[in-house]
Amino acid sequence: MEIKDILKDVKIVGIVSNYQTNLKIEGKVKDLKIKNISSALKMVGLGVNSLEKSISDLSISELWKLELASKLDNDVIIIGDIYNSLIYKDREYMKKLFVKLSNDYQKKIVIIDNNINSFIGVVKKIFVIRDKKIVYETGNFFDQELYKYVKMPKIIDFIKYVNRDNNRLEKTTDIYELIKDIYRRVS
Amino acid sequence: MKEITNVTIVSTNLNRRLLENYKDYYVIENNFSYDELLQKKKVLFFNILNNLSDEKLHKLFEYLKDNNILFINITNDIELSLYTDYLMVYDDSKILIEGQTLEVLKNEKLLKRIGLNLPFMVELSFLLKDYDLINEIHLNKESLVDELWK
Repeated sequence: MEIKDILKDVKIVGIVSNYQTNLKIEGKVKDLKIKNISSALKMVGLGVNSLEKSISDLSISELWKLELASKLDNDVIIIGDIYNSLIYKDREYMKKLFVKLSNDYQKKIVIIDNNINSFIGVVKKIFVIRDKKIVYETGNFFDQELYKYVKMPKIIDFIKYVNRDNNRLEKTTDIYELIKDIYRRVS
Repeated sequence: MKEITNVTIVSTNLNRRLLENYKDYYVIENNFSYDELLQKKKVLFFNILNNLSDEKLHKLFEYLKDNNILFINITNDIELSLYTDYLMVYDDSKILIEGQTLEVLKNEKLLKRIGLNLPFMVELSFLLKDYDLINEIHLNKESLVDELWK
């Protein structure tokens, strides 16, 4: 199965795998061949003052954003290693950006990461890849089988733990929905 | 920095410049073995532990503590701070706040202002406290559930 097959039915897909950047780290940001570079940098959360920076001086998160900016012109955007590269606020921003790119610009987004928190709540389909082969696929973040391969998000771990004692918390990946549910059941 | 045995450093902008402050630590950026750790008195993990399972993390940190190996874990994942006694938070390359882990995590507004979240259990505890459903901040699910459904 190839990426185009994976994307046939879904616009944003998560893949759990290793990922390495292909971005060259020589020269300045402005030297990169990125279409509409100023607006691309702005869209990914990098200021235009980044243009004058040497790529080798960029932090891990800035490099990650630059890589995304370099791919915005593609119909299919494959991006990865979000969790190790970005802090919480940036990850949440990127999730919203992926939805926007998908809905407003008809982009197909493939998120490759080895931490499922990078795309929890955003993707409709998750593939687990080992040695270049798909070994598991699911659309359900509460699928126990999935966590044979990846670390379980804390919110899912908590809900599963509570529900072992017949406390029927709703399955959610949103902490605020979880709080409301606990409030209804406890108070 | 005081001689503290185990520290998490969370930074909003992970950069190798952070390592310059800890030159006497053996830096681990890739795979490592337990034997390798044992040969060092001070080790520094640079953003490589984020995806280990809780079980593996627990085993690793217990091993380090049992063998009196001083360690620093530099990460962008504040969830890992719960494994260490001391937490330092850098905003870019400047230290913003440091102290005993839970005391630092109580500075929720400060941490969120620079784009960090709280560890899930701590955030959940704060929210449940706001609703007067619990009285304590919990670091693990077992004690939180005990207080909620006691």
